[in-house]
Parts: sequence; C-alpha cells; structure tokens
Amino acid sequence: MATGMPYGLQAMLKDGHKHFSGLQEAVMKNIEACKGLAQITRTSLGPNGMNKMVINHLEKLFVTSDASTIVSELEVQHPAAKLLVMAAKAQEAEIGDGTNLVLTLGGELLSNAESLLRDGLHTAEVVEGYQRACEKALEVLESLVLPNTKDVDVRDKAEIARRLKGSISSKISGYEDLLAGLVAEACIEVCPKNPNNFNVDNVRVVKIQGATLPDSRVVTGMVLKRDTEGSVKGVTDAKVAAYTQGVDTSATDTKGTVLIKSAEELENYSKSEEAKLEEYIRGIADSGARVVLSGSSVGEMALHFCEKYGLMVVKMPSKFELARLCRATGATARATFGAPTAEELGFAKSLRVQEIGGTNCLVLQQDAALGSIATIVLRGSTEGFLDDVERAVNDAINTYKALCRDSRMLAGGGAAEIELARQIADFAKKQTGLEQYAINKYAEAFEMVPRTLAENSGLNATDALSALYSAHAAGQTNAGLDVDGGAPRDLSTSDGILDLFSTKWWAVRLATEAACTVLKVDQIIMAKQAG
Amino acid sequence: MSSVKTLNANAEVMNRAAALFMNINAAKGLMDVMRSNYGPKGTIKMLVSGAGDIKLTKDGNVLLREMQIQNPTAVMIARAAVAQDDITGDGTSSIVLLIGELMKQAERYLSEGTHPRVLVEGFEVARKAALEFLDTFKQPLPTPPAAPASEPSSSSSEPASAPPVDREVLRCLARTSLRTKLAEGLAEQLTDIVTDAVLTVRRPGEPIDLFMVEIMHMRHKLDSDTRLVRGLVLDHGSRHPDMPKRLDKCHILSCNISLEYEKSEVNAGFFYSSAEQREKLVAAERAYTDERVRKVIELKKQVCGEDQGFVVINQKGIDPISLDMLAKEGIIALRRAKKRNMERIQLACGGFSINSVEELCPECLGYADEVYEHVLGEDKYTFVEGVRHPHSCTILIKGPSDHVIAQIKDAVRDGLRAVKNGIDDGAVIPGGGAFEVAAAHHLRTVTRKTVSGRAKLGLDAFAEALTGLAKALAENSGHDPQEALLALQEEHERGNVVGFDVGTGEPMDPSTAGVYDNYIVKRQILQSAPVLAGQLLLVDEVMRAGINMRKQ
Repeated sequence: MATGMPYGLQAMLKDGHKHFSGLQEAVMKNIEACKGLAQITRTSLGPNGMNKMVINHLEKLFVTSDASTIVSELEVQHPAAKLLVMAAKAQEAEIGDGTNLVLTLGGELLSNAESLLRDGLHTAEVVEGYQRACEKALEVLESLVLPNTKDVDVRDKAEIARRLKGSISSKISGYEDLLAGLVAEACIEVCPKNPNNFNVDNVRVVKIQGATLPDSRVVTGMVLKRDTEGSVKGVTDAKVAAYTQGVDTSATDTKGTVLIKSAEELENYSKSEEAKLEEYIRGIADSGARVVLSGSSVGEMALHFCEKYGLMVVKMPSKFELARLCRATGATARATFGAPTAEELGFAKSLRVQEIGGTNCLVLQQDAALGSIATIVLRGSTEGFLDDVERAVNDAINTYKALCRDSRMLAGGGAAEIELARQIADFAKKQTGLEQYAINKYAEAFEMVPRTLAENSGLNATDALSALYSAHAAGQTNAGLDVDGGAPRDLSTSDGILDLFSTKWWAVRLATEAACTVLKVDQIIMAKQAG
Repeated sequence: MSSVKTLNANAEVMNRAAALFMNINAAKGLMDVMRSNYGPKGTIKMLVSGAGDIKLTKDGNVLLREMQIQNPTAVMIARAAVAQDDITGDGTSSIVLLIGELMKQAERYLSEGTHPRVLVEGFEVARKAALEFLDTFKQPLPTPPAAPASEPSSSSSEPASAPPVDREVLRCLARTSLRTKLAEGLAEQLTDIVTDAVLTVRRPGEPIDLFMVEIMHMRHKLDSDTRLVRGLVLDHGSRHPDMPKRLDKCHILSCNISLEYEKSEVNAGFFYSSAEQREKLVAAERAYTDERVRKVIELKKQVCGEDQGFVVINQKGIDPISLDMLAKEGIIALRRAKKRNMERIQLACGGFSINSVEELCPECLGYADEVYEHVLGEDKYTFVEGVRHPHSCTILIKGPSDHVIAQIKDAVRDGLRAVKNGIDDGAVIPGGGAFEVAAAHHLRTVTRKTVSGRAKLGLDAFAEALTGLAKALAENSGHDPQEALLALQEEHERGNVVGFDVGTGEPMDPSTAGVYDNYIVKRQILQSAPVLAGQLLLVDEVMRAGINMRKQ
C-alpha cells in the first residue's frame, strides 16, 4: 500500500466526485450539452414552430411551443445547459417573452464557438470577440429601431394589437389577431394614467373549458370561479363591504369560557349571541352595503342574518383575490367585523353569478371609469390548449408592460437579425486581431433565427436566407421573412410583424453572457448526486 | 513491519517514504487545481453541488470550501487557506500555491538525500528574513497633508468630506483584489462601490465594522446594475395593501415594541355569560395594543408637517389591526425587522431605537429623504435613501441569475476586506508578483551570506518557491513563465521594483499601474505557509486505525 497513493485531484475528493478539466473534457462537453438543448427548442421558434409534448415528473402533460415552459418542465440536469436555462429564465423574469430567442441564439453562439476552438483559437479570444461583437450588436440594434415607434399612444387599441401580434403569433398561430385584440382591450382598460405603473397583475386570465377560442371575451372587472354563499345571486349598482376576517361572531384571542349556571342563562346566552350578530349585520345593511366579502369563513348564523337582510355573501379564501376584488370595487377591507364607514364601502356596477360552460362564475362588471382590473375569459376545448393560450396571453401582457416602458419596435420576421448579421460581419472585417474570427461567427449566429423561421415554415432555408441578404444589401433594412409566401418583404408596414426592441436587447445580452460564461469555465467539479 | 501493527492488526501505516510522497503529492495536487485560477487572468471553475446547484468561481477560498476534500494532507492545507481567509479575507490561492511550491522544491532536495529537518531549518531562516524584508518593502499609504493616516481621529470634525486616507490607493487595493475574482469590467465598477462603502462606514477613532455594510441581492436586471445605496435596503415590505408605497422627507421611528396582542404567559382565560360581555372583553383585549399604536400616531401628528412622511420600523410584530390603524394615517410600518438592520438604521438615519412607548419623543426619530417599496415578483424590498450622515450603507447586488449573484457577493466581501486591511495597515505592498521576486532576490543575495551550512539549502528552496507565484501569474495570462520571470529578475537586479503586467507580459511599475496588495495578506502567507510546509515535511509516519484511507 505504501507506494500507490493515487495522484491528482480525484484522489483528494470524496467518493463519487466527478472532475472534468481542459478544453476537450470541459468546454467541448459543455458546448455539446448546450447545443442539444438549443436543438430541442429551436423547432418551436416562430409562428410555424412545432409544439412539444412534455410530461413532467408529476406526469402532467404539456403541449406547447413556449420555450420557457419547455425548459422549466424539462428539468435540465447538465450544469452548462443549466446556465443557458438560467439565462432564459432571466429573460422570462425581465420581459416575459423571447425565451426561445435566448436559447436558440445562445446555443448557436456556442456551436459556432466550437468550430472556432477546433480551428485553434483560445477560449479567451473567443470570449473577447463575442463581447466586442455583443457591444456592436446592441449598438446596431439601437439604430434599427423603426422611426415613429418611440412614442406610442398606449391606449390606441389597433396600434397596440398590431405590436402584440408578433409575441402571440410565435405561440398560438392562427388566432393572433383575435388574441392580440383581446389582450390589447384588456390592457388598455386597466392602464393607469402613468403607463409606467402598469401592473400585469391587473389583467386576469380565467380559463373555462367549452365552446371555442373565438368565444373568448374581455370582462371589465373580475370573473371568479366560485358561487355566492347565500341565495342572493346577483346585484346591480351595489355597495360592497369587505372584511379580511371571517363574517362571524367576534372572538377573543385568549381562550374564553362561557360561564353558565342555569338553563335559563344558557338560553339567554344564545339569544344574546344572536341579537349581537343581528345588530352587526343590520349595521352593515344600514350602511347601504348589499354585498359582503369575507376573507375567511362565514358562520351559519351570520349567513342566516345576511339572508334576512338581503345581503349577498361571497367567501374569498385567497388574501390576494380579496385584495384584487377590493381594488376592483374600491372597497377597503376592514380588519374587524362591524358596520363599515362610508369611505370603506366599495361599489359594484353589477355582480352576479353566471353559468359559463357549466361552471358557476361570479362576474363583476364595472364601468370603464371604475375598473382597475380586467379579466380575459378564455374558452377552448381542452385544458391543455387553454393552458397554452394562457401562456401566450401572459407573454403578450408582459409585452404590453414592456411596451409601456419602452415602446421602440424593430421589424420582426428575422429582419433585425439579418441586418445585425450583415453589419457585424462588416465590423469583423475591420478588426485586426484574432477576435475578428469570433466576431464573424457571432454575426453568423444571428442567421440562425431567419433560417429556423424558414425551416419551421417548410421553406428552403438557404434560398430564403440569400433572398433576405440580397434584399438587405439593396438597402431594405426592414425586409423580413414572410412565413406564408417565402419572399422577403418590408415588415415595418402596417400589416407587418413587429418585435419589441427591449425583448431583443435583453435576449442578445443574456444569450451572449450565458455563452461567454460557458466558454470561460475550464474545470467542472461535481459533487456526488444527493440521494 | 511497524510496531503499530502488533497493537492493532487492522491499523494502516505508511512509512516515511510513503508519507512524504503522499504529503508532497497532495500539496502539489491541490496546487495544480488552484494554480489556474490565480491572478486576474485565471480561469473560472464550475462547481456542481450534490443538489445540482451551480457555482462559478475564481476565488480560492470559495473553491476550497465547496470542494469536499478528503485527503488528510489536502485538508490540512485547505484549513490553513481558510484560516488565511478568516484573518485577511484574501490570499487563499497564494497560500496554497506557496505551500505547493515549497513542497515541490523540497522534493528535489529530498530526492538527493537531504534530511527534511535540514530543509525545515532553512525554511525557518528564510521565513524570518522574508518577514523582515516585507517590513522594509511596504509602502506607507500616502497621506494628505492635513491629517496623518495613523491618527484618523484627528480629523473627526468632517469625516465624510475629508477622508484622511488617499482614496486612490484604496481603490487600487480594491481593484487588485476584485480583479482576481471577477471579470475586468465588473471589477472596475465594483471598485468604486467597495471603496466608497468602506469609507462611508469608517468612523474616526473606531475600528471599521464591515457588518455595517449590508450586502443585499436581488435577482433582477444585469450584474452591471449593482450599486451602492447610501442608506438601507430592507428585504421586506409593509404587510398592508393600503400603506403608501413611497414617502418623501420621512421621519423614521425605529423601535422594539410589540404592536400585536400577546397572550399572557400564565394560563389565563375569560369567563363571560353573554355576548355583550364578550364584546367588552374583545375590546379590552385590544385596548392595550391600540393605546400604544395611538401614541405612535400622536407622535407622527406632532412632528410631521405638510408633505412629510412617517415610517415605523419595528423589530417586533405588528398585527393586522394595528397595521390598519397605521395605514389610515399614511404611515409605512415594517414589522419584524432584523436586529442588525435595527443597528444600521440608527447609524444611517440617526435617532435611536426605543423599547417602550413612554420613551417616544421627537429626538429619537431618524430622517431619510425618501423611503420606497420595490416589488420584485413575490419579494418586497424597502429602500431608505438620502440619509444625512450615513455611517452604514448597503451594497445592492443585482444579477440575472443566482450564480452571478453568488460570485459577486463573494468578491465584494473580499474587496471590502482588502480596503479595510489597507486602512488598518496604513501600508501597501506593490503587487503583480513584485514582492515575491524582490524577496527571492533579497534572500539569494543578502540573506544567503549571513547563513552558513546546510540551512542554505532550505533558503534556496524557499527563494525558488517564491518565484513560483510570479510564474503562475505569467502562465495564466498566456505568457511564457520562464521568460517573464527572467525579465522581472533582471529589472530587480537593476534595483527597480517591478511587477508582472498580465496584459503585455512585460515588467511594469506597480505603483504607476495601481496594482497593490495588502500588507497583512502577504505577512500572513509568509507566516503560515512555511510552517505548514515544514510540518508536512517532518511527518515520518502516517497511521490510521479503522476504515481504509484509500478508496476501494
């Protein structure tokens, strides 16, 4: 035993550790994994992208072409691929859209880096080149912003719908006009005076199975999938009283004991209890309220008196739902039970139980002036389809939010990418160092977007790409791929496809950053898998 | 056969040769791992934990902590490195490298038949000489003429506007430290943040308490959005939907008063026989808490004029009913603040914390220009900004993913320590390998003449090992280590103090390039590395009873 102590790192670590180092073992393997991941999501890019069927560990089925859902349900294990997923998640958190672009671009950057490394470039040079190219790309991107898009009336429905179309069409193709209209309507409804303060939480989405997607509609107010407690099922022009606690007899925090000495007292006690409760509920009814929202349970007796005074009772177990409903009606939720003051009362134009597709729903409808919450009621045949539509709608709502902050737009359909590829390639030619090869490859990576769009649409990618290049060389900087016809056309026109500038900006940054991080790693030390 | 075997048949024994072989190999193995991330151009390592979490790091300390090392020798070295980090906050890679180099040099002599004891004696002589040389080599911090750096208390009148230390040198220290941990662009940006943070919390005549620099992180935006908040960021928000989200010109009350109903500790109960009585009990139960809330509100009415805000930051709880009362008055109330944040509030905003409502008075209030809430997904953050005399500040780290944030966080912590060390030492050491080369030169030319006999061997090994650090620096930057070292040595022989320029590969003047290391870091390395290397060399038998040392 004396001589054979194993040498190196492996010997020093705990059992089950894995250790990779160097170009071949670490960098190339990482690139391989990232390429694999990008390959999966790539085919889902664009309006004609394919759907994926993902079954997660809970055996829940997802049928979607939304990249963020795919990667979050895939539970990616490989550390390097995980870095790419994290970049995609950051994009999701920042903009809420464009995750597929991050993955596709990141994967492509890495696969191009692989060929550079095989040619003998050092990773540091590739990273350096990529970073320089990224700066240049962001610069070019800025210059590609379509004129007249900087200022937009965020309340112009047609204009907004046009801008949201690009985001929706990449997920639910065929219904983009319909959905963009719905989202635009709902968002504009709740957009505050200062559009910067737009809160995505104020646009709710309710999915109710049945009927078809074109039957979806926007409700100014809220739709809750629950019934009222009592028999009052509908009110109009009613005042609303809200309570964060239950509607019931009050209780002390300290444990109380009722001290009863005789049967009479017992009887009297129950009566006094009833009398007290009735007094409270009468107080509520006297204040003019006709709807009572309760944050938790509603006592049997309380319900009885509410019925007696013709109050509508709604139970809301979720604190957030209650807060939203308060916001929608303008009510202030009281912490203690009792008659509300005039300021605490809210107002509901119409609050009634409706049957939608076999589900009893409580529909609150408000006048446009009062409504700070709008709800999109989605109808569709299957749960899976509705889930997918919901994700698309959520992405579009996020896009609206981003639009409120920065309304600059770019031509979609790969137009911006081709222009980026062209200009960065020109930039590369002016470089003297070894980075020029990396910059050139960086430019090439952008081709992937129109190429994939063409491929997914069943077009000949090479033909489409060369047609695009020639259009751009002729000065048509907004020429993008028409996925139906195949020939390049100017997409900045009124019936064109637009993408949000900030989506692209973040996607380019995050994808580059993720790719560079993957490249910079030269050693991986993996602990033994837990469990 | 060793005698241990007769005592315990299962015991494992390594004889002298095997023990030495193992120790040297472990030290060299660990060095090989750490070597590639030494210096600003070092590479990143990716650590994957058992749960699959990713950590990217260049920081030796993080690496050693996260790697689960099992080899006993390697563990010893790792411990020395972690101790290095505890004491100085930097230099973990250097110490591992120096120990590895010392062992590597020792191996050469040992294979020629030198006794380890002789080498250790030489190490000891060299260590003392190197430490003495370090004291002559350090450069005192340049001080502005007004106030000497050694007595910062003399400038107590205006601590914020007239820092008695040269900010530029501190920036250089921070940059040198940060650049070994982060990408260059980001390091540059953090340099100012870190330096200013330390200068903010520095109070004349008192030791610097780095805990007064809160490090907060948000998973949001990009790493370049990291910034220094001269004030506080609390990682919670108000718990009431109707409280204002933003207040300007705020009076801040920090208190440790329970504003919620608390059950008595003895087992108490109520007896009642009618609903009216119960109502009264309910009211009475609240009365005590309500009274305290009312006193707070009274104070608010007393001090707040037009468009002035009032903020309550409570270390204890505030129940929904009390929150409701405060919200109606337009007060922002935060409950269950962390204790260390309570200390920081006083330092940042002024005022003092109170423990009972009887102490409430306008004097105890702090002040901030603005207090606002920032919501990020599910998490709420409260910013307290624009305070008058900040003695506490917050570094707000932003980044798109957890691993980026973790990386910045580790680096910021080291950067803060570097600046603090610089102020505490009142001196800096020219960096970029300048000290190592100069010390090796000094040992070979000056010290060697004063030593006679076999200790010279250890001295030579020590000097050679020191130059190993400069070589590693050159190697990681993609330059030829031998060539770079020779160029440096030639310059030193001419009497110039030069370090290695990682960009060009040429010798450079550390003071013009602004590359400085901490005195205490170098001192600590020189103190502990040779001692540990000596101990490892003197091991002549490794014994282990029980489970097998080697993996089966």
